[in-house]
Amino acid sequence: MPGLLTGSGDSSSLVPFSPEPSTPAVYPLHHGLKPPITPRLSISWSSGNSLRVSVFRSPETASTIGEEGEVGGKVIELKLSGEDVDGEVTDAARWRKIVYGSVSPFAHLQNKKNAMAAFSELRSSAPYNVEWSKYVLEYSKDINSLLGNNKSNPSSLIEDPRTVLKNVEEPSSLKAAWELLEIFYANKQSQSWIPEQLVDWLTDYDSLLSGKMPTVHSRLVEFQAQLINTQTVENEAAYWQAISSALSVGWLDIVVKLLRLHGSYQLNQLGTRETENGLVEAVAVLISKMPRMRADLPDGKLGECCYNKSDFMKAWEKWRAQITKLDCSAYWLQCSHHQTKENLKNLLQIMLGNINILSNATCHWVELYIAHFLYIRPFTSGLESMYVLAQKCIQLKPTSSPHKLMSLIIGILGENTEVILAECSKSFGPWMITHATELLTAGNIQAEILLKEERHNLGGISIEESHRLVYAQVLSSHALTWQIAPIYLISCMKHGVGLLEILLYKQPVYHSQVLLKNIEICRLYELDSVSANAMKIAGVHNWKHGKKGSGIFWLQQAGDEVRLNRIAQNLFDFVGKSISDESFEQWEGLIELMGTESKGGLEFLHKYRDFKKSLQQVQEGVVTDAARKAGESLILIMKNPSTPQRFWLPLLYDSMKLLTWQGAPLLNVSQSNLLLNKLQELSVARLRPDFVEVGLPPHALSSVRAALATNLGRAILEEC
Amino acid sequence: MATETLKQFHRLPQSTYIDALRFLPPLSAFDRYVVVGSFNSDTDETSIGIHAFNLTDAPTLTLQSSFTTSSRISSLKVTQKSLQNPLIAASTFAGSLHILFPNPIDASFESEVSIPEKTLHLGPISCLDLQENGSACVSVGEDGRVNLISVGDSGLDYRRVFDSKGLVSYTAARWASPTEFATGGLGNSLQWWDQRRPGGPVSQFKGNWAAGASSGIVHSIDIHPSRKHTCLAGGSYGTVFAWDLRRQQQPIILSGIGTSDTTSNISSSDVWEVQYDTFMTSSSHANISSERVLPVMICSEDGILAVVKQGEEPTEILAENCAINSFDIDRQNPSDVICSLEWESIAILTRA
Repeated sequence: MPGLLTGSGDSSSLVPFSPEPSTPAVYPLHHGLKPPITPRLSISWSSGNSLRVSVFRSPETASTIGEEGEVGGKVIELKLSGEDVDGEVTDAARWRKIVYGSVSPFAHLQNKKNAMAAFSELRSSAPYNVEWSKYVLEYSKDINSLLGNNKSNPSSLIEDPRTVLKNVEEPSSLKAAWELLEIFYANKQSQSWIPEQLVDWLTDYDSLLSGKMPTVHSRLVEFQAQLINTQTVENEAAYWQAISSALSVGWLDIVVKLLRLHGSYQLNQLGTRETENGLVEAVAVLISKMPRMRADLPDGKLGECCYNKSDFMKAWEKWRAQITKLDCSAYWLQCSHHQTKENLKNLLQIMLGNINILSNATCHWVELYIAHFLYIRPFTSGLESMYVLAQKCIQLKPTSSPHKLMSLIIGILGENTEVILAECSKSFGPWMITHATELLTAGNIQAEILLKEERHNLGGISIEESHRLVYAQVLSSHALTWQIAPIYLISCMKHGVGLLEILLYKQPVYHSQVLLKNIEICRLYELDSVSANAMKIAGVHNWKHGKKGSGIFWLQQAGDEVRLNRIAQNLFDFVGKSISDESFEQWEGLIELMGTESKGGLEFLHKYRDFKKSLQQVQEGVVTDAARKAGESLILIMKNPSTPQRFWLPLLYDSMKLLTWQGAPLLNVSQSNLLLNKLQELSVARLRPDFVEVGLPPHALSSVRAALATNLGRAILEEC
Repeated sequence: MATETLKQFHRLPQSTYIDALRFLPPLSAFDRYVVVGSFNSDTDETSIGIHAFNLTDAPTLTLQSSFTTSSRISSLKVTQKSLQNPLIAASTFAGSLHILFPNPIDASFESEVSIPEKTLHLGPISCLDLQENGSACVSVGEDGRVNLISVGDSGLDYRRVFDSKGLVSYTAARWASPTEFATGGLGNSLQWWDQRRPGGPVSQFKGNWAAGASSGIVHSIDIHPSRKHTCLAGGSYGTVFAWDLRRQQQPIILSGIGTSDTTSNISSSDVWEVQYDTFMTSSSHANISSERVLPVMICSEDGILAVVKQGEEPTEILAENCAINSFDIDRQNPSDVICSLEWESIAILTRA
């Protein structure tokens, strides 16, 4: 694995890696066989994540099998439960939904990439980058939308003023990680707004970080639970703490909402706490007017958007001046409620960027980091300075076991592609890393070199390819996703096609549905020889299992002359045998299926079939016309040079009753002579060492000769 | 290729692979139901379920009742006669056949009768078709057997009509009348059977078996009740053709490779299902002539759902990223179509 160094636990390793000791899983076998069972089991891999286990009964008992009617063994498929790809997306169906959905964005991007590569070869021009980043962003958005949406559940029309946090679907850290990558790598146009994007990111995903440590989100959840039982909120420390925490990470809408719960807003209080209420409202208004350096704000979020830096500067200065002015206002003296006064001033300090208060209000370093962007260094730009700032925040708020998203942030800020890859691979699995490499390499030459360079220690393939191969392997291990694997394999230059062929060969093509799928994939990727082999396998399988028709069909589709010839040779074995009507029907059907293409003298077989048919009609009745017809076809077939010599005798022996026809002789003098000559030729040929004797009774030749001689005699008499 | 505008289109992801689906004729005046044969790959469970189908802006399928089968569904049919209780017939890849009687009040399964595996066919039943009045069912298989199953009050009774002993493999079947049906198989072949003349097929269309690599398999057959002499078939390599019993040796090719320039090729993958398209706009009514093949809807392995008309450009309705395995047109509202997609989802669309 790239990014993993040997000697885990070593301080020099980039990413701490501990091979987790896992307890061995136990799978009971439900074979349903009566004991005793041999201690021998045959185990092999079946398709995907299943094992094929053959269980045998003891050989001693095998002899009694016949009587008991019990089988001697059984083959069982054992499905091994796979390891979770991602700790969160445990629901396999949901996971497959992501897998399916990511196919077309990925394939689309690969097509675009190939088209652009071909285009730039022609012109070698630069507009590549702008165009390309557009595609990458589109791709990233497509994938992002698959990972779930953060839209809040449709809430009731009447909003409960005491519900501070919106009831949203539990976000997934996979989506959180993807969005981080999107912010830093895909969204080139809003690069200058990265801090504000991070603010939004934390708004959506702070709850994910709550698992191991307290967060502003968890604080708010806690406070919301208390809120129902609280009468005068402004007397509670938790109320003010929730407000200052929310303010420090920029959740302005929540802050304003909380401030308006302040007791001084109540109608019966207005007369006595007018000034106090004015101060609360003033702070609330100031908060909602906070300048934000971004293009727009989603609905319900507060702040004033400034599109460019100079506008923002002016607004920022003005806003800060207003805060300072309020801070020094004389109205504070008239405010009798001590807690309100102190805490409102505290809020002003937060807005003025007081580091100590910010540090107290936030829970972990990412929150503090966001607070820095909002109130202390709104102009931070460039990964280097962002990284330095992050380091500073970590020092102020160290964590013992950082969350995987935190590690990812550090990796990104540190501009260390290997760390990012390792974090993605460790925490989010092969799907993430396969799809994320497209973002990492977008416009980043260093990362591109790192990922696309062919490596000796990876068997000559690049890191990118190795990840795709791993992902394709994961896809191949499931019956419903294996057909997606080719799309990823085909994007791998070195080993893709080879592994695709192996994948296709491993499919159980004797299931006709799988065979058709296989053929379709081969058609798409022009793997004609693979599909021909699959058809051959299916053909032989069907032939062996009695489905002669489809056996021949698939062999013909595969153009397998060798096996078709062997089948044709088998058909010759019927010649001269006395066969039942039923098997003749079978045989006739097979000849029909084999077609008329000249394969190993099939032409003869067709003639023989016609002859045999007319001969059968003769047997049924005593129609002389039919007998005469049969006689004619006998002469035709004997005359024909394509009739193999070895069938002469069987043919004649078959038609004995024609030769000894009760009524008039069926063959005339010249016809009888022709047949006698053939018989003579055969007698001579018999002396040759390479002559193959057909399985006929020893007297066959002499009785045919006698019959022919009799017929000749009768014919001569007739013609006289 | 022209594309058709859709009034509504939704993809409903399922957590199971959809092997087959059909609209159920209305059980009551207000409810619409869809019967779905599905396979859960996580639990290896296969079932036939009746889902209440609610076609709003955000359509939903709500499972009402389900019946577990021992193996995956290879073919699923329902009787299409309204005003009588519908019947569901399903065959499995293991070879069993099930007839289910849904309860018209709560869409539960009132009763079920079945024939176990290894009885009707050796191996899978590749296709079955149910007669319109639900009294009989024909089943075919790759083993070359053709069976007639009569559905009576006392249960199921079956009779072997023909056994080719593996020489001919049948992959599709469809009733034409109470006594006649058609089957299809390898080499784009079609057979016409008449129960009044037993012993074998009455007539055969040999197809292009000998054509080598371009020869294909018939996956689906449809016969229009008003034109029983024409057998519509769809199969490999985008082949869609109509076989007119009155002109037996000249099939009318609607789509497919190696055809003349006048027919365009809608797809080059397997056509999994063909059905006469009963949805007509007033303009298309005018174009119907008794000489022409009626409009046909097809779905294919490369994700195309389209309407093919003789002598016209095909109209593409959907182009999905994955295979469309089957579809069904609602007889009561022919503008509504449901499809099962390979990637564990059901598509629902309404044509404008």
